Amino acid sequence: MSPLLQVSRVSKNFGGLRAVDAVDLELHTGEILGVIGPNGAGKTTLFSVISGSMQPTSGQVLLDGRRISGRPAHQVVRAGVCRTHQIVRPFGNLTVAENVLVGALYGPPASRRLGANPRQDALELLELVGLRDRAEQLPGSLTLAGRKRLELARALATRPRVLLLDEVVAGLNPVEAEHLTGLVRRARDEREVSIVMIEHVMHTVMSLSERVAVLDYGRKIAEGTPEVVSRDERVIAAYLGRGPRMREPEETSTGA
Amino acid sequence: MLGLAGRLWPAWLSPAGIGVFLAGFALLYALPLVVPLTTYQHNLLSLVFMFVAAALAWNWLGGYVGQVSFGHAAMFGVGGFVAARLVLTVGLPFTLAWLAGGLVAGAFALAWGHPTLRLRGPYFSIATIGVGEATRLVLTYWEGFTGGSSGVSLPIVPGLKYSLYWYGLYLVAVVVAVSYAIRRSRLGLGLLAIKADVEAAADVGVAATFYQDVVLFLSGAVIGVAGGFYASYFSFIEPADMLGFDRSISFVLMAVIGGIGTVMGPVLGAIVFVIIQQLLLASYPQLYLGLYGALLVLVILFEPLGLSGLMLRLRRLARRR
Repeated sequence: MSPLLQVSRVSKNFGGLRAVDAVDLELHTGEILGVIGPNGAGKTTLFSVISGSMQPTSGQVLLDGRRISGRPAHQVVRAGVCRTHQIVRPFGNLTVAENVLVGALYGPPASRRLGANPRQDALELLELVGLRDRAEQLPGSLTLAGRKRLELARALATRPRVLLLDEVVAGLNPVEAEHLTGLVRRARDEREVSIVMIEHVMHTVMSLSERVAVLDYGRKIAEGTPEVVSRDERVIAAYLGRGPRMREPEETSTGA
Repeated sequence: MLGLAGRLWPAWLSPAGIGVFLAGFALLYALPLVVPLTTYQHNLLSLVFMFVAAALAWNWLGGYVGQVSFGHAAMFGVGGFVAARLVLTVGLPFTLAWLAGGLVAGAFALAWGHPTLRLRGPYFSIATIGVGEATRLVLTYWEGFTGGSSGVSLPIVPGLKYSLYWYGLYLVAVVVAVSYAIRRSRLGLGLLAIKADVEAAADVGVAATFYQDVVLFLSGAVIGVAGGFYASYFSFIEPADMLGFDRSISFVLMAVIGGIGTVMGPVLGAIVFVIIQQLLLASYPQLYLGLYGALLVLVILFEPLGLSGLMLRLRRLARRR
């Protein structure tokens, strides 16, 4: 089966810094793929490239075999790929309902906008994320958890096929995180989206993703099921540094 | 629940709204026919109509999209001189000349705006100052087109100035209707999203560059039509008056004093602006700019939504009583 989203050999340079280095990723329909890695590993930059906010220095991104890299962000959304932001960015001058409505009005591709009812869609999404009774309020009055759920609803309103979630549970308490994790799973099941998620909270990654890719210094250093990846030596080294026992063989080989 | 659905997609064509609009239009239409206005009052109202339309058009870009332009005099001047030249050389009827002037002004706005609108906030504003001043200089030295600093005189048509009242009213009616339509439509919601966060808007599918271009074109075109109207009103225009920096500032002041981003705001602001100008300009020409400055400071400090915000507050107070 050909992948829904294919990231092939994508690199992104900022001057002399190579933030993303020849990364390959594949996302299959209905899958939740976790992307983890230490701070500064290039995860968010990778998302910016996939979502069209930034253009890759080299490599390309394909959705359903069609190239989406090189197109501006709003066209990538209409092609079916939508991202959320790690630091939530609600439209502060619009009500909660209007925030979601912007996504529902502008996000879906023209073909799927015909016959659709954006208002109805926005209300259903507010229901899904539990913000229906906050619809008339401004996002500033919501808690961080509320704003994260709003960000999720607004992204879902664009009817994406691929959703890129950037640390949706970061900063939430365990109960809120559990609720949001449940929402992500429901979004996948009920709204037929496939998901790539960047996450630092290991518990969330382990419980949601079937497969995890690990980035370090812009490179993909491991990929596999959460169990396999969490035992991978290179991954442990990336997070914790190399221990003396691991360095030993190198020293003997160079010292001789 | 019904209220929510209505709020989500406010019907700007509400019967009450249309009623108020038509009543206001009929009232103003009949006013000079019923009430014996002096020529001065009659003409002053015509000028107020023109400035209301201009302030509303400035507000589409400055208020809805949040891109504050200090260079709209450029379109005012371009529209005015194109209209004047068309009347003089081709003998075009003046209404058609205004429209042509508006189209050229809109196209001109697009020409500098498309590359400039990628700047946001103060950076955009500073760029527009440059655009306004550059346009003023070019038009001042382009004597073949604008007559240089001695300007262009238009033939005086008997009865034209009297009839401008109604043309001004039509212009205001169209611009008010369009202002409401934009404010309450899909487009308006998108513009407010762009105003809040242009990147987040793009990330949910709003084609920010395209919509900003569209709004700048419309805004510039209406300002251009107003410039043509102004030329017909005075039968004489010259670059320093049309394109001076204080011209650009006046559009900003009207919208800000009245209430930026609203529809009623620029309407109120333009009325207050013209009245203060008429009262003070004759007797204390040095004073009136100072007064605008003071008003601006007061608005920004105490009531960011200007006069319309003040009215809302008073209404709320009255209801509490």
